[in-house]
Amino acid sequence: MIKLHGVTKVYNPESIGVRNLNLHIEAGEFVSIVGQSGTGKTTLVRLLIAEEHPTKGKITIGDWDITNIDSSNIPFLRRQIGVIFQDFKLLPKKTVYENISFALEVAGENSSRIRKVVPQVLEIVGLKDKMHRYPQQLSGGEQQRVAIARSLVHRPKIIIGDEPTGNLDSLNTVEIIEILKKINEFGTTVLLATHNREIVNSLRRRVITLRGGEIVSDEREGKYRL
Amino acid sequence: MISFIRVIKFAFQEIGRNAGLSFMTVVILVLMLLSVNVLWTVDVVTKEAVGLVKEQINVSLYFKAEASDQEVSEVKRTLNSFPEVLEIKTQSREEVLESFQSRHQLSPEVLEALNELGDNPFGPTLVIKTREPEDYKKILQAMDVPEYDNLVEAKSYEGNEEGIEKIQNITNRIERLGFWLSLIFLIIAFLIIFNTVRVAIYTHRIEISIKRLVGASNWFIRGPYLVESFLFTVLSIAITAGLIYLALHWLDPYLLLVFPNGFSLTNYYNSHIFLIFGLQALAVLLLTSLSSLLAMRRQLKI
Repeated sequence: MIKLHGVTKVYNPESIGVRNLNLHIEAGEFVSIVGQSGTGKTTLVRLLIAEEHPTKGKITIGDWDITNIDSSNIPFLRRQIGVIFQDFKLLPKKTVYENISFALEVAGENSSRIRKVVPQVLEIVGLKDKMHRYPQQLSGGEQQRVAIARSLVHRPKIIIGDEPTGNLDSLNTVEIIEILKKINEFGTTVLLATHNREIVNSLRRRVITLRGGEIVSDEREGKYRL
Repeated sequence: MISFIRVIKFAFQEIGRNAGLSFMTVVILVLMLLSVNVLWTVDVVTKEAVGLVKEQINVSLYFKAEASDQEVSEVKRTLNSFPEVLEIKTQSREEVLESFQSRHQLSPEVLEALNELGDNPFGPTLVIKTREPEDYKKILQAMDVPEYDNLVEAKSYEGNEEGIEKIQNITNRIERLGFWLSLIFLIIAFLIIFNTVRVAIYTHRIEISIKRLVGASNWFIRGPYLVESFLFTVLSIAITAGLIYLALHWLDPYLLLVFPNGFSLTNYYNSHIFLIFGLQALAVLLLTSLSSLLAMRRQLKI
């Protein structure tokens, strides 16, 4: 599903994001990418959604070589990957419903399908009754659930979470992880970049540890170890 | 088609949900357009006034009484061949006499002296109008040849030379001042509009980056801002036009007192409405759209 061959990202000689990453993630896996701040987790996420291009190496998603993806193709890539961020990245002037429908509207989905699908995904994340509220009228956990609903709405094959629980309390953190696990059970590949030890240990799934931009361990059923 | 409808929907949504910012943008556009229109109006009124002054200037060629109609016609034909000449009016000997008599009807001694002469002592006259006051000199220099010496009694220009030159100087200066003032104003207007739009886009920078991250294409992001630019332009032009017509309604009676030819700014605006507001709409639309696109370029690199 996701393949990285010798991927290096150099911002400048003093700042290297990731170094010589070789990685193969199968479809349907739930992979935690761990490491302290500044170890390259976010760089890896940014490379996968083409926010950055690798300085060296090759990245493929499915059969799609996105190493030097053309800027006109980036929207198509991003419509295939659901991304959840630490700061939620919701559109503040759009309601919960509009935030989610926007992801479908940009893809040219027809209106009747949007009207049908959006309440369904809101049901999954338990926010159907708050669909007409604005993000600032929701708690942090609720906002992150909206972000998950948005990432889910076009049924992506991959969901990437970049510290999605970083701004949440423990209760909301557990809720978000449970939702991600459920999504994974339906066959979606989940990549979770985090430095939350409890989450990683409770998952008992594959763990890739980064240090200084390099992979220092890759365990099938790993634990959080730095 | 569905994307286009969505882009329009998002544009209206953006305007409505950022009402304060939208309102301020329109206000600034209206203020700039009003300033441009004030300058435009001043320019029109100045040109009209200058034109009126220029119209008052003409040069008369007084022929000797013995000059024949054929000779006068020949001189007229020669003068007409000059591109600088706008119009030549011929006054016959009788018309010159009548004009003289009516001018001096309150001076019986002058009229009596005229009667003493018996015959009509006046020759025909050519009243020449040129495109620009400075053209008179050229025309009269061309007439200053020995073969016309026996025909022409006098030229009235010499006496007015100083006055005409003064008027010419003043009008040239006014036109030059108007040009530079307009240029400076246009640059200021450009900078203000450009920065207003940049600020508006800057406040949307996070939203733009989020839209990119959820897979919106560049045109899907730019679209609503371009539609907004169009709506702001239409709205600001409509408001400006309304305010301008209100002002003209109040101003016109005063202008009628100054301009005896019945010049009215309302009539001027009516007959040039598409040129004035069309040109301004086009300029504002280009400016706002271009500013939006330039300001968004950075955000769209994400």
